[in-house]
Amino acid sequence: MNRMIHWLGLFSLLLPFAVLARNVDLATVPERRAVQLTIYNSEDLTLVRERRVVTFKKGVNPLQFSWANTLIDPTSVELRFREPKTGLEMLDATFPHDKPQTLYWNVQSDADREAMIEISYFTSGISWAADYLAIADADEQTLQLESFVRVKNNSGEDYENAQVRLVVGTINLVEKIAELAKVPVGKVKDELKREEYRELRQQAARKMMLPAAPAPMVAMDMAGGAMQEMEAPKEIIKEGLSEYFIYTIEGTETVPNGWAKRLRSFEAAGVPMTIQYRYRPREYGDQLVRLYLLKNDTVSKLGTTPLPDGMMRVFRTNNSDSLNYLTTQSLKYVPIGDKIELNLGADPAVIFELIKRKVSRDNLWFQIKGGNLYRKLGEDNMRLELDSQVAGWDEHTVYRQKIRNYSIKPIHVQIRREIPGDVVFRSWLNPTLHDFQTVQFETEIPASDKAELDYELIVRQGYNQKQNRVELQSGEAGR
Amino acid sequence: MNRTRLLYPLSVLLVLGVTPLDVLARIKLTTLPVRERVEIHLDHAQIALVEEERIVPLVKGINQVDFSWANTRIDPDTLVFRILPPPADQSLDAKVLSVSYPPNENALVWSVAANISGAARVRISYVLGGLSKDFHYRATADRDEKTLDLAQYLRVNNNANEAYDRAKFETGIGGLWFDKSLGLSETKEVQLNSFAAVPVRKTYTSDPQQFGYLDRAQDKLNVPMHYVIKNAGGSLGKAPLPAGKSRIFQEDGKGGSAFLGEDRGKFTPPDDELTLYLGLARDIAVRRTVDRNERQRIAGNLYRYDVTLKYEIENFKDSPVTLDITESVRQIRDQIRGDSGRDPEWQLGDGSLRNPDPDKSNADTLLFHVDLPARTAEGQAKKQIQTLRLTLNNEW
Repeated sequence: MNRMIHWLGLFSLLLPFAVLARNVDLATVPERRAVQLTIYNSEDLTLVRERRVVTFKKGVNPLQFSWANTLIDPTSVELRFREPKTGLEMLDATFPHDKPQTLYWNVQSDADREAMIEISYFTSGISWAADYLAIADADEQTLQLESFVRVKNNSGEDYENAQVRLVVGTINLVEKIAELAKVPVGKVKDELKREEYRELRQQAARKMMLPAAPAPMVAMDMAGGAMQEMEAPKEIIKEGLSEYFIYTIEGTETVPNGWAKRLRSFEAAGVPMTIQYRYRPREYGDQLVRLYLLKNDTVSKLGTTPLPDGMMRVFRTNNSDSLNYLTTQSLKYVPIGDKIELNLGADPAVIFELIKRKVSRDNLWFQIKGGNLYRKLGEDNMRLELDSQVAGWDEHTVYRQKIRNYSIKPIHVQIRREIPGDVVFRSWLNPTLHDFQTVQFETEIPASDKAELDYELIVRQGYNQKQNRVELQSGEAGR
Repeated sequence: MNRTRLLYPLSVLLVLGVTPLDVLARIKLTTLPVRERVEIHLDHAQIALVEEERIVPLVKGINQVDFSWANTRIDPDTLVFRILPPPADQSLDAKVLSVSYPPNENALVWSVAANISGAARVRISYVLGGLSKDFHYRATADRDEKTLDLAQYLRVNNNANEAYDRAKFETGIGGLWFDKSLGLSETKEVQLNSFAAVPVRKTYTSDPQQFGYLDRAQDKLNVPMHYVIKNAGGSLGKAPLPAGKSRIFQEDGKGGSAFLGEDRGKFTPPDDELTLYLGLARDIAVRRTVDRNERQRIAGNLYRYDVTLKYEIENFKDSPVTLDITESVRQIRDQIRGDSGRDPEWQLGDGSLRNPDPDKSNADTLLFHVDLPARTAEGQAKKQIQTLRLTLNNEW
């Protein structure tokens, strides 16, 4: 069911290219024996390698390759001889001015023979993306994590029984394939420059192709696939390579043009997780959010592969084995060993309130008559005249952080507050500094209980500000 | 190969013969696995999750199960297809191999492998747009306004273009479920809870910042009335009360009830108060004036302010009431000397109002409860004077 949009013609007239301008042509079409797709998710780029068997006669053989209505980058098309490797030579490639999306090769053969050729090229329009399904147990101790890859084919070409390889990681491209596909090669003004681009691009892409031992590109015979005991979901083999990861889908896949196909990349059950409540306004907005925390490591029954960027959908089973929807979030690339944080949003069963309880000021300093002389209030019993101005003071503000837990489980809460300026943070909360101006403290709240966390901020203002950092101090808030 | 089609709303096709994916529109023989069970989960604040259980006949080998829908807003990315474990005496083992998405169609095809022929019980879950919910309340106060009956309703609005003959709805409130049918474009209302004889406090409040003046020139404050219900005690307090409109009635003592008005109640967690506005009280007059405003220079441009607010209060009602006087110290400071951009530092002075409600007062807000006697038998309202004296320190 190949739409046969691109095809390879071996001209039976067996005449050099010059004769091809005739109006009557006769061509044979060697069929595609095997095809391999290497799809990048960071760029709209797929490397296609296909093998065909062609019969050559001794002498010069013209070959035509055309790709109407597809998104192939014409500068990337390459011809190689696989079997035999010697005795065949590509003399030249020509992009005719009157036939867009076509090229001719002249191949010199030293004998009459059948040969396996490999044609490779870049195309756009084939993409893949990861997505994830997480289903937490009813008691939220563990979750089941499934990872999928979805291959979408909008390239204009049907690829049947293709070996599919997916590249995780980013590469550098200097031009977009989709744009190149629209430009006939002959119209490229600066041929040399284009040549450089091509080199760059191919180097980038092929670098990761080479070390991976090419999987046997045997033509797959699907029709005769005798049914085994039971068809198992296809395995997706993951290999690390330089800065990249390559996923190879077991066997071959057929993705017709316009279709998408989703396969399971891995499945892990009983992945341990913890629940944390966090207040981090910079990351999650002005609300206390609930998170599932897990790790992409082997202890957590994961860690076989980095998790590529993708949408994560999170559900929880209830006791009757049905699902509750929790959230959808986009997961950023998670390296092996790194943590995975799923933000479930605010929990209506946990009430989070900050109350400002008291404000006072002390340590008042005055600037005398607008000059360089400063005096502290109450010092030396000095009388300060009307033209002395308050220039510095310490502002004390006492807060109570109230957290009420109406859920049936104890909760762990972590709070971060960013306090700019020269600040003393006084409390019995055993806080730590997340950074020079962000205080972090944590607490456990039993089920159906509440916490009242008191702290006092002393902000040195104006002339009193000597630093720009938070100093932690143990002590009673509000004294 | 075996092909099954779950056509949304309700059809399943069993297709015989080996057919590649892109020739779906050919002659097919189909079976229609009906919905065995539907659950609609409304526990999420914005999203409705539908879960249907169907029994899908599978043959040994690879089966294709088509799921398609028309004119409904199913989010295909949220579709979860789960094959439930078979009963212990059955050995059917089925697995999803892949999912295919045809072009320009609201459909997808699950490729399912089975070790033997048999019927598999599957659960299909998806987020459905157009299925919304809201909550509302009906409060009926008794004659003396000491208690009220509070009924809580859930309304499900079906604009999803899909009918459900029988569905289990999860309300997300206190673990409550109900079984109902839900037709096309129907709205279904069910009573979730009925809280009988809930203690209610009727409050009269003066709060210039929040409720303003009835007559600014005469310094007369608005005195709004509220019913205040604490979400605690009895059968209340087990779950938050979701936000929703409340219609408020009062028993008229003749077996009927009078409509007092309606208000939008806020989300009320346990132990918090649900406050329902009833309108302005016309029989309680509160005049608020700044009686004293003096400043004392401490040093340089640093001052201390001595402020006294005076309230002249009259209760023309024939019953005693409690007036809640609420003030924002920051607003008082801004009024008497302008906004300095700093929080006020203050101390309560020796006015008559000296004991603010500790639960409802903080660094800025002060709330005082003042008891007002009923008017005298002769119809005279006794004028009561209250004063709030504040020292504002360290102002410049």
